[in-house]
Amino acid sequence: MKNNVTFGQLYPTNSFVHKIDARIKLLLTILYIITVLFCESYFSYVITIAVVLFVVLVSKIPIWNAIKTVKPVIFIILLTGLINLFTIREGKVLCSWWIFTITEGSVDFAIKMSLRLFLLVLGSTLLTMTTSPMDLTDGIESMLSPLKVVKFPVADVAIVISIALRFIPTLIDETDKIMMAQKARGSSIDEGNIIKRCKALVPILVPLFVSAWRKSDELALALDARCYKSDVAKTKMKVHKLSWRDLVAVLFVAGFTTVVMLDKYMWLGIF
Amino acid sequence: MQAISVNNVKFVYNPNTNDEHTALNGVSLEINEGDFVAIVGHNGSGKSTLAKLFNGLLLPTEGDIFVYGKNTKDEENEFDNRKNVGIVFQNPDNQMIASIVEDDIAFGPENLGLDREEIIKRVNWALDVVDMQEYKNATPFKMSGGQKQRIAIAGVLALMPKVLVLDESTAMLDPKGRKEVVDTITKLNKKHNITIVLITHNMEEVVPANKVVVLNEGRIEKVGSPKEIFMDNELLNRCKLELPVVTEIARKLAENGLNIDKNILTEEELKEALCQLL
Repeated sequence: MKNNVTFGQLYPTNSFVHKIDARIKLLLTILYIITVLFCESYFSYVITIAVVLFVVLVSKIPIWNAIKTVKPVIFIILLTGLINLFTIREGKVLCSWWIFTITEGSVDFAIKMSLRLFLLVLGSTLLTMTTSPMDLTDGIESMLSPLKVVKFPVADVAIVISIALRFIPTLIDETDKIMMAQKARGSSIDEGNIIKRCKALVPILVPLFVSAWRKSDELALALDARCYKSDVAKTKMKVHKLSWRDLVAVLFVAGFTTVVMLDKYMWLGIF
Repeated sequence: MQAISVNNVKFVYNPNTNDEHTALNGVSLEINEGDFVAIVGHNGSGKSTLAKLFNGLLLPTEGDIFVYGKNTKDEENEFDNRKNVGIVFQNPDNQMIASIVEDDIAFGPENLGLDREEIIKRVNWALDVVDMQEYKNATPFKMSGGQKQRIAIAGVLALMPKVLVLDESTAMLDPKGRKEVVDTITKLNKKHNITIVLITHNMEEVVPANKVVVLNEGRIEKVGSPKEIFMDNELLNRCKLELPVVTEIARKLAENGLNIDKNILTEEELKEALCQLL
């Protein structure tokens, strides 16, 4: 169970990438996602792969660890690729069997689509792998702070996110315990067809839900006991200041975006 | 000086409904500054309810509670009372807000709106007091129960409360973790002059207290020193409380004709007494 949730967990190495301000990283990740959506030629995909690999290298995360985070969505990526492969009919027919026809255009599109999804997931997990949840929450809070003008409860949203992240491991532990308790009483979670398995999940989800409810009740008391008030001005222990690193990171990603855009709108067809 | 004064308090859960339940029924109690008060009682005696009444997390149905002269019922006192009376709960996992020790401890002082330097000073002080300085940047998930609970205590200490209430904070811990926590609060009481209210059903933790309050069915049965309480066999039976093992051993030895004090409370005292017999 625990091994399944490595998806996007912090991999602390204290590298250059880890030290970039969370707000900047968040914005750059968004820019990266937009840029990937603009990728069209194989040249731009090669550039994107090179950029991602370079960031992984600089962040000192073992490449295999980074790629492993894509595992949970590999099914979706493959499925998208296959659907594209068999439905698009463009250019020369390469082979045809029953209702399946593969054309040059569909091969091209399938490869690009799968690559795009893969790069999107990989790029955004790099954000969570190099940023602590606390910094990320602070970053989101700071970026949403203009919304305070329209009475949007920014601080509350930030603490909700922070607590949600904080409780993921606790709830996973709890799930493990409940599963073991159910197994000890003869329930079979890992057996049978898919419907049986789904049904077997009910006796796990119900106690989990009850326990989460109780936990939130206790946590609310603890928050109150520690003087939590959402409408009172608070100070922050950690202050985030921008540094030369952030500038370098911005220039790097901006450069990448420029190259991809130039490739799409100006050099198209050369490569 | 009086820290907390409880005047004839009654507390009813879900009043005027089918599951109405009276948790406290006419409780009066004085806690002085610098006291180490232990509140004991079996499950359902109302001791956890009393803890939550001390800083206004719950408000009495009848009667009043004053914290340093301020009634918990007045809304304008709420913030001051929560600052003065810190509560540590049973399960350390359910009290932590942040994934990193330092951030979690800073949560309280951040809420008070203190200066940044002051927050950092308090966080370091709190970590020093509970002896967890080296875990400042660690995450609490991999820690032992005792360590987690000490972090939870530090989180409350950073508010610099005058009274620290521990609501069954040792119940989920193993003996080692329990000792760590009890040692920490004893030190807080002796060295930092923080008033301690320890709520427990484990009679061994009662020993360092200077005042023991026995609760039963929502009423106070007796208030006295640990020795006075332990001598009262009839009371202990009625309230379903058990003597500490050490005292039990001393009693059994005395019953079997050994010349030994019946009211031994600590292992050291027992060792001493046994050595003198030899």
